[in-house]
Amino acid sequence: MLKLIYRRLLMMVVMLLGLLAIMFVVANVAPGDPARLAAGPDATRDMVETIRVERGLDKPLPQRFVIYLGSVVTGDLGTSIHTGRAVLHDLAIYFPATLELVLFSIGLAIVLGIPLGVIAAVNHNQLADHIIRIFAVSGVAMPMFWLGLMLQWYLALELNWFPLGGQLDLMSDPPTRITGMLTVDALLTGNFAIFLGAVAHLFLPALSLSFPALASIIRVNRAEMLETLNRDYITNARAQGIGPLRIVAAYALKNALLPTLAMIGLRFGWMLGGTVLVEGVFDWPGVGLYAAKAAISSDFEPIMAVTLVLGASFMLANLLIDLTYAALDPRVRAQV
Amino acid sequence: MSDPILSIRDMRLEFDTFDGVYKAIDGVSLNVAPGEALGLVGETGCGKSVLTRAAFGLVPSPPARITSGEVLFGGRDLLSLREKQLRSIRGAQVAMIFQDPMTYLNPVFKVGTQLVDAIIAQQKGAIARRAARDLALEMLDKVHLPNPQRQFDSYPHELSGGMRQRVLIAMALAAKPKLLIADEPTTALDVTVQAQILDLIAELVSELGLSVIMISHDLGVVAQVCNRVAVMYAGQIVEDAPVADIFDNPKHPYTLGLLKAIPHPLRPVEHLAGIPGSLPNLYTPPTGCRFADRCSHAVPVCTDGKPPLMDLGAGHRVACTLYRKEHVDA
Ligand SMILES: Nc1ncnc2c1ncn2[C@@H]1O[C@H](COP(=O)(O)OP(=O)(O)OP(=O)(O)O)[C@@H](O)[C@H]1O
Ligand SMILES: [Mg+2]
Repeated sequence: MLKLIYRRLLMMVVMLLGLLAIMFVVANVAPGDPARLAAGPDATRDMVETIRVERGLDKPLPQRFVIYLGSVVTGDLGTSIHTGRAVLHDLAIYFPATLELVLFSIGLAIVLGIPLGVIAAVNHNQLADHIIRIFAVSGVAMPMFWLGLMLQWYLALELNWFPLGGQLDLMSDPPTRITGMLTVDALLTGNFAIFLGAVAHLFLPALSLSFPALASIIRVNRAEMLETLNRDYITNARAQGIGPLRIVAAYALKNALLPTLAMIGLRFGWMLGGTVLVEGVFDWPGVGLYAAKAAISSDFEPIMAVTLVLGASFMLANLLIDLTYAALDPRVRAQV
Repeated sequence: MSDPILSIRDMRLEFDTFDGVYKAIDGVSLNVAPGEALGLVGETGCGKSVLTRAAFGLVPSPPARITSGEVLFGGRDLLSLREKQLRSIRGAQVAMIFQDPMTYLNPVFKVGTQLVDAIIAQQKGAIARRAARDLALEMLDKVHLPNPQRQFDSYPHELSGGMRQRVLIAMALAAKPKLLIADEPTTALDVTVQAQILDLIAELVSELGLSVIMISHDLGVVAQVCNRVAVMYAGQIVEDAPVADIFDNPKHPYTLGLLKAIPHPLRPVEHLAGIPGSLPNLYTPPTGCRFADRCSHAVPVCTDGKPPLMDLGAGHRVACTLYRKEHVDA
């Protein structure tokens, strides 16, 4: 088991290097002159050139990449042009908000998706199954940002049930910063009113972000449950007189969860990418919004850094999923 | 003769499929006397598994539909019971073991967990986990599984096919049921292991005084274990007789063909060398004898109507026009 973790962490480093290399090339073939941008609109030609040399932008690309890697390793992710702060500092501010949003979203998708998939399979071709299937198909078909806009317009603007955007009401004081995730910090500091406010703000963006994942999880889990419920070991369990609850919730579900887990991992990746859109719609102060703003001003170092943390999050999540896989399936465990 | 322990009467079962209604079981009647070991033979797809499973509510519906019949067991008609009542009979009073030990154990639960779950279900919760565990270990010992304590904590993939079948037998017989349905319990195993498992079943059957339905397409297996044989063809029983009679004095042309098809009593039937042709289309089954178009003895009346199962005396019954009284007399 430890060997698996070790191997996977090593692989992660290699993959992150690859990711950075690709991003680095893309950033440098994209139009726009970073030296000019850094120097500001009023800079003279000489000033721009000075900055170019100062920042090493005159060196060949591979050499610059190595230099960049060196600074990344020491924790220096560069400086953001549009915030004027160290990128690492910005990430410390914005990443917890994204993490909170994404964890809440994937949690929502899992907690709703698995039971709904099971309910649909158990009621195969009956009313409940049809309703859940229609729901799932619509979820796969609907673009995330469009769903976000619709939810925002109807539930927030028309019905006023939820706040339009942001992380907290302007009136309320944020809790002491511990993890940077408002809901968690509010709970840790025992501030229940703030917690409720934070959850209310979190709800619509999380729903938008989780809906496609929820739909896929339902679909995969339903299909897997249907197949598993037809397996021979289920027939044997029924022949022993074992009751339906144990058969569905343990004997079948534990087997059906294995492919569902793979889908959860995949969808988590999509979700991380989706934060750029959803954070934009709901004005959620996370790295997605941060990266979007940076992209508009051709501010590459923040984009690289955001890619790095999102990539690492995705890989860590998949490591976690593989470990869960091994925990669920003794045959997988036997192989590692 | 005492009342049968299981009596299936005129059972009909259809599958609603995409291609139409598949009439898998057509008017089957079958009795199992207490202490009797009945062999159920017939080529693949003739309905042996479906018949015995459907009798105890184990064939999912849909697609299956039981359109007529009774299954009398313990004084009740099982076909009129609800799933919950059936569940209290399955496991506790009727045990089943199946063909492929590789697929009938759940791959993600320990052998011991599955045994304990089954035992608790069989006893309807009236047994503590500890006691169930002790019983499970005792059963593993009884089926001669080496090192029961270790196998108890193993996962199915860590066991060989023969060991898994022993686990399944231990599971099935833990509640000391009255009836055992063994659905080709040795087909998927190596020949040497087959003999061991058959011996084990025979040993436990006599020890527990079980009645048995032994399904097989291997007449050799049946000869070894059973005292009576029912021959099934295309969803119907065509002959039913004491085991010696089946071998020495077979009546139905299909039974004759089956016997001819086995050059060696331990080799399973794959190609019915004695019988050309294949099972009839059961979406639109023939109205007469279902075997008529493969039968070398067929006469025009064979296609006229379904021949009833006729009693030839001494517990020998056959469904074939050739043995009709008027026919025999003529
Ligand atoms: N769920 C189902 N839907 C449609 N047809 C089915 C279904 N289950 C079984 N059948 C059909 O019922 C017939 C009888 O099947 P059954 O499994 O009882 O055969 P069998 O005699 O046990 O054969 P084998 O010796 O191969 O085990 C087969 O032709 C099969 O195709
Ligand atoms: Mg079968």
